[in-house]
Amino acid sequence: MSFSVSSHRAAASRDGSRGSFLSLAATLVWPLQAAVIAFVIGGLLSGPESGAVGIAALAFLGLAALRTGLETAAQRDLASAAEARIADLREAILERETRAAAASGIGGPGALAALSCEKLETLRPYLLRYRPARLKSAVVPMLILAIALWHSWAVALVLLMAGPLIPVFMALVGWAAKAASDRQMVEIGQLSDLLVDRLAALSDLRLIGAGGALVEGFAETSESLRARSMVVLKIAFLSSTVLELFAALGVAMVAIWVGFTLLGELGWGSWGGPLSPAMGIYLLLLAPEFFQPLRDLAAAWHDRAAAEAVLDEIDRWQREERPVRLGHGRTGGLDAAPVSLRLTGLCHRGLGFPDIEIAPGARIAVTGPSGCGKTTLLRLIAGLERPEAGQILLSGHALDEDTATAWRCRIGWMPQAPHFLNRSLRHNIGFGDPVRPEVLRAAHLDALLAGLPKGDLTLLGERGAGLSGGEARRVTLARAMHGAPQMILADEPTADLDARTAAAISNGLMGFARAGGTLVIATHDRDLAARMDSVIRLDRSRGAAP
Amino acid sequence: MKQLVSLVLILVRGERRAVLRGLTLAVTVLAMGVALLGLSGWFITAAAVAGMAGNGILFNVFAPSAMVRFLALGRTAARYGERLLTHDATLRALSRLRIGLLQGLLTRPYRVLERQRANTFLNRVTADIDALDGALLRLVLPALAGGTVIVVASFALWWLVHPGIALILGAGYLLLPTLVFVLGQRIARRPARQAEAAMQASRSRLIDLIAGRDDLTVYGQLQAAADHARNAHARHSMARARLDRIERLTQAALDQTGAGLTAAALGVGAMLVQAGEITAARAAIGVFAALALGEAVAPVRRALSEIGRMTLAARRILPSLEQAVPVGTRHDMPERPSLELRDVGYRPDGSGRRVFAPLTLTVVPGEAVALTGASGCGKSTVLLLAAGALAPSQGAVHVGGAAVGAWSREVLGARIALVAQRSALIAGTIAENLRLAAPDAADDTVWQALEVVQLAATIRARGGLGSPLGFRGAGLSGGEARRLVLARAILKRPALLLLDEPTEGLDEATAQAVMAGLRRALPESAILLAAHRRVEIAAADRCIALDRTES
Repeated sequence: MSFSVSSHRAAASRDGSRGSFLSLAATLVWPLQAAVIAFVIGGLLSGPESGAVGIAALAFLGLAALRTGLETAAQRDLASAAEARIADLREAILERETRAAAASGIGGPGALAALSCEKLETLRPYLLRYRPARLKSAVVPMLILAIALWHSWAVALVLLMAGPLIPVFMALVGWAAKAASDRQMVEIGQLSDLLVDRLAALSDLRLIGAGGALVEGFAETSESLRARSMVVLKIAFLSSTVLELFAALGVAMVAIWVGFTLLGELGWGSWGGPLSPAMGIYLLLLAPEFFQPLRDLAAAWHDRAAAEAVLDEIDRWQREERPVRLGHGRTGGLDAAPVSLRLTGLCHRGLGFPDIEIAPGARIAVTGPSGCGKTTLLRLIAGLERPEAGQILLSGHALDEDTATAWRCRIGWMPQAPHFLNRSLRHNIGFGDPVRPEVLRAAHLDALLAGLPKGDLTLLGERGAGLSGGEARRVTLARAMHGAPQMILADEPTADLDARTAAAISNGLMGFARAGGTLVIATHDRDLAARMDSVIRLDRSRGAAP
Repeated sequence: MKQLVSLVLILVRGERRAVLRGLTLAVTVLAMGVALLGLSGWFITAAAVAGMAGNGILFNVFAPSAMVRFLALGRTAARYGERLLTHDATLRALSRLRIGLLQGLLTRPYRVLERQRANTFLNRVTADIDALDGALLRLVLPALAGGTVIVVASFALWWLVHPGIALILGAGYLLLPTLVFVLGQRIARRPARQAEAAMQASRSRLIDLIAGRDDLTVYGQLQAAADHARNAHARHSMARARLDRIERLTQAALDQTGAGLTAAALGVGAMLVQAGEITAARAAIGVFAALALGEAVAPVRRALSEIGRMTLAARRILPSLEQAVPVGTRHDMPERPSLELRDVGYRPDGSGRRVFAPLTLTVVPGEAVALTGASGCGKSTVLLLAAGALAPSQGAVHVGGAAVGAWSREVLGARIALVAQRSALIAGTIAENLRLAAPDAADDTVWQALEVVQLAATIRARGGLGSPLGFRGAGLSGGEARRLVLARAILKRPALLLLDEPTEGLDEATAQAVMAGLRRALPESAILLAAHRRVEIAAADRCIALDRTES
């Protein structure tokens, strides 16, 4: 669980400790409050004095206000420390994912989003409760033991016996329960996943009349999981029962000893002098507080287990080796004139590429069987990946850290599986800039827009707002042409399209080329390739240098 | 708030006995806790009085001391039982909730279900149901138990101590925490909603960033997308800070309430003792009971921090639980119905454009008709119209001589099968997936269906019918999944089979074999297939082209 410690984080952990100490201070007010109660009741027994009662009640309230104030301040510090820690982790995830050039091994975007959003939230209860609970269980029982010992070694003995035995027994029971309870957490998680799995299939299974069978099957599985979870819980709850048992017995024993001593039945247990009623009551009021920190710690333990799991996952994510994207985000490094490309000696992922020259205005088709590197070539030209060998020259400048960002400003990108942002159609084309009508016309999107009730403000969710394959392709073309790029890189732009849509896309691309743009198109489509000026054929036999 | 109450009522009504058992033990635990502290306080004080008066020998020690020990042990045992039974009630109630959700969704129209395949919905459903597990465990049961114990304790204090003290403690502990809770909940409503919305935005913006990383990089939009996500993070932080503050203040209010009531019990009790109305020992009971009753209201804080999420979750889940009233009622569909589309057209969302020109076609039993045309939504829509999943904007769909909407859901489910472009498989064994369509099918029948789609050898190599698939059918290649789904449809032996690009992803030879096998296996079914490939068109008896229209 090690991260680079920024000054922000150091401050956060400082806040966290201050919060814990304030919480401890709040807890230590109770012995004073207990003294007030004992004083009053003891006073009533030895002879009523009217004035003191009112003052005592006020003193009790005043101490309570002090305690509440301390505790509130403690919670405020702990909460801000927790928020700072969580915010730091969120920012770290965001920062790294932005810079990364390849997917994480932890999982897809959904898994990472779950980590950053829901899972980090499980750190909050841990950060709020565990540290103070641990501090209190180290300090408070010792203090109370000391106070008890000062007045009665019998009470101290009872507390001393009950105290240490608790963790021992809890550990024994907890050991057996841990494996079972780990399984339980997995089981419960599985039920949620199972529900999602069934929900995803529900609409299609209903269409074959299997909806009822699906629900019945789920009900059976759910019931059996529930039964198994209960078996696990029966063992898991035993460990906290041990704690409760010792706590309850401890308080009971103290009450009985005090009672018997005050009756005069017992003559041992205090240091020589008799036990006063006030002292007896005071000890009884203190006894439960001896055990309370341990109960709080046990409650916080579960939070800790959950938090540790999340922190482990973050650690794994942090330790992954991920390639970093080319380009540092600042434009500049290239002159304004149209760039001509030269690719020499390129080799990437075991594939070798021929030397290619791309002059401004060129129309190039890249063909070859699937798997021979067409997509990889396009990605290399766009600077999305660094080639393992060889170089790409942009009018003489190498495509590297300094030039990548400026170069990408001049590219229009049409991948085979574009990602549509969860924003409006307008934003997906222009990225915030107003969409030019001639771009829409060139991509044959006018008809589509007229048919949408909200026009270009229609939200394209992850379902793509029901855009068909052809329509989605046209939107991608519009997006590519919108920035008036110098070059469009297109990966299989007419694949899986009917003849009409394919022609529309083709014409759109040619229109761009006629206006002076450069085209590099990876395609299987013979008709499209025929409209290009030159064809580069890739095949696997081309030298696969390491 | 109203929806949360309705939802809780549904949960409780479904598992009445389990909830009652849990509640009984929760009350027992609290009551024993209060009794233990009260009795201990009385015992010590009374013993002190007797000791000081020299009457120690006359004091009956055994009853109280035995009672103290009994309460200590009893409370522990009851606590174990309470945790077990309340968790049991919660697990049962949640299980019912999930099943109820599936059953309710089963009756929803197709378009609604379609939307709910999206990951955002699925994630939210999971989060919502998880949020609701606190509804019984941390809200309803503690509230009922606490309220009951406060009332019972008040009566006991009325009799044992003094009516004044009973009134102070009873009214105080019932009213003040309730007030704090209601106020706190109202104040927290807006920040809770904001926090939730910001979290959803955070999640979706981060997913956009990561999934669209390549595209965003080339378009130079990466920083903008990252800042967009940061924006949502910041909004969440602010809302969260507000919620934390409200929680702190309510906790402070609750603490002061407890302290105030204890001080009142102390002050009033002492005054009563000085006035000679009650003994000191009884006053001690009042004070200790006041302290112990604090445990009854401790759960309010936890409940308050969760109620925002629970209310929002209930609002979203409740509508899905309702079962829509079925429209069609007829059951007497002929064994081999034919399909008739008369001048059928469709406008999605009532918008201006038609997806295709009005279509008229008939498919009789034993016949296979291929539907060709523009790639994308048109052909799939026709199949959905034929299955009765969508209602046509014009024209009519007739199955077996009557409008498709007139037939009951059961008979439609039994006679019609639509195999969509997606291969909808679930986690479980191959057999479980296949038997969804025909729960009573014998193993031999299942293997026969697999043979038809050329999948028998692959499944045997994989480990037979019992081999497991991961979530959403993970473990099979695209082509294998496709064929499994076709085998499932064959097992059903539907009278009307609707296929959407059935051989997508299969090579020519396999596709041909599968189509031929399909026709052999279902010689009397009426088949309508949306066809893309030559192989599929060749396997059909007739071919009809779907015209696209201009809008």
